[in-house]
Amino acid sequence: MPRIFLLGDNIDTDNIAPGGFLHLPIERQVEHCLESVINGFSSMVSKGDIIIAGDNFGTGSSREQAPVLLKMIGIQAVFATSFSRLFFRNSINVGLYPGTYFGTNPFTQGDTVNIDFSENRIYNARATLKFNPPAGILREILDIGGAINYAKELISKMENDGQE
Amino acid sequence: MNSSKTAAEKIFSEKSGQDARRGDYVWAVPDLIYMHDILGPSSIKSLNKISGGKTRYPGKVVVVNDHIYPPKDVESAHNIKMLGESAGEEKWETIPFGEGIEHTLLIENGTIRPGMLAAGTDSHTVTAGAAGAMGVGLGSTDIAFLLALGKLWFKVPETILFRVEGTKGKYITGKDIILKVLRDIGVNGANYASMEFHIEKGLKFNMDDDLSIANMTVEAGAKTCIVKNENLASNREFPQSDEGSEFTERIMDISNLEPQIAKPYSPGNVSDAKAVEGIKVDQVYIGNCSNGTISDLREAASILKGEHVKNGVKLIVIPATRNIYKQAIKEGLIGTFLDAGATVGPSTCGACAGLHMGVLAENETCITNINRNFMGRMGHPSSRVYLANSYVAAASAIEGFIKVPGD
Repeated sequence: MPRIFLLGDNIDTDNIAPGGFLHLPIERQVEHCLESVINGFSSMVSKGDIIIAGDNFGTGSSREQAPVLLKMIGIQAVFATSFSRLFFRNSINVGLYPGTYFGTNPFTQGDTVNIDFSENRIYNARATLKFNPPAGILREILDIGGAINYAKELISKMENDGQE
Repeated sequence: MNSSKTAAEKIFSEKSGQDARRGDYVWAVPDLIYMHDILGPSSIKSLNKISGGKTRYPGKVVVVNDHIYPPKDVESAHNIKMLGESAGEEKWETIPFGEGIEHTLLIENGTIRPGMLAAGTDSHTVTAGAAGAMGVGLGSTDIAFLLALGKLWFKVPETILFRVEGTKGKYITGKDIILKVLRDIGVNGANYASMEFHIEKGLKFNMDDDLSIANMTVEAGAKTCIVKNENLASNREFPQSDEGSEFTERIMDISNLEPQIAKPYSPGNVSDAKAVEGIKVDQVYIGNCSNGTISDLREAASILKGEHVKNGVKLIVIPATRNIYKQAIKEGLIGTFLDAGATVGPSTCGACAGLHMGVLAENETCITNINRNFMGRMGHPSSRVYLANSYVAAASAIEGFIKVPGD
């Protein structure tokens, strides 16, 4: 079952993907993901775990490496009370699910939970947290697996429509 | 329907060919794309995945190698080489090496012009607002999407209009205005929004102050911005929101504004700089895309003239572009810096993003005129970065601790 990593407000892109390693191949950036917040974070995550954070998650840079690294270490979704614009867009584009929740998070660090993406809720025997899924075109991009697949599909439509 | 529009609605209407209103999702074609050596290579990789490298983008693409230039290691050299090869195949405009930092340079050389919509791989693309263009930062895959399809979806932002009025204090710059805004509205106070600044006539701020303001609007979460300075004739043609269009208005009277400072670890953690005077610094860094301008160098030199950096403090000065560097030599500013014990480096993003040429060790403290002070931004996660204007940074270099000039 997915395990929760709890983070606070304003987790920034230098926390998630530190600038000093950005010029390296992505595989060599993995170990530094969120290391300034939780020492050894990248090796603590198991595939499918989730992050629950506060306001303005992903504030800062346009670096797409931020959601890419979270996905690479196994995080399947990030839930926050709000997201910074660039992180939100990048997250959708690379296929990392960003859910927005309101009110107080009832879970604690290390809790294991179930996530119901059709009912938009995270729950275990003790508590439930409802979240809002991405909507509109964002949802379409996420559902098809990210912006690369979405772009490919649009291009093939354009070509079929004889726009080429 | 209300025919008056905000500046953002006007630009997104023009670039999408439809009546674009705040909250609308539109497909738009920006006039310009620019990419750099750190985030450009990942755009190329995404473009190859989408279309095998084929592009349909009709606008201009500019490549600037500024982040780790000159290259510091094999990997950074590889990034520049790879980007150069792709740019050559696509006939993109590659700016000659060492010309400067993209956000300052592309305004200086006239690439960014009023009324444009510019898309950049870098979040500080918002700096284009100082030239009357709407700059939007995008992730690498969005840039690749735009290159491959020739268009990209945007949500038309709402607008927050700041009217800056009053009188300007002696050591007050554009940096203090934007830091005060961050102090007032916080680091997500303008999330997804367009921030529009009108600097009232008679307030003696120049183009470089405008650049400093525009650059850090992204620190408040802004998607884009326009900074219209009523004192500059060149700003008359800048787009602005119509009276009667829908925006939130804030009046900023800066008459009593003191130099501001952002404390670790957030650009929104702002107080008067006086409140933290006396904090010991290990490094003073002057110069980046927001504040490596000739005005910044003049301000710093006015404080450092005939003075010397405190022994044990590293003072690093980076003119943002080659032309600024040349002008600073002509005016004797570089001589002043060298006499003061500064190390003057080439135009690069360098230490601002913790990349090279001024990275901080554990527990070190730096005061600087850059735009971000996140944990680990300039080096070790335990290092601490204070953001202030160039006068305050220079005065602190002399004392070896944070100092506001003039008291």
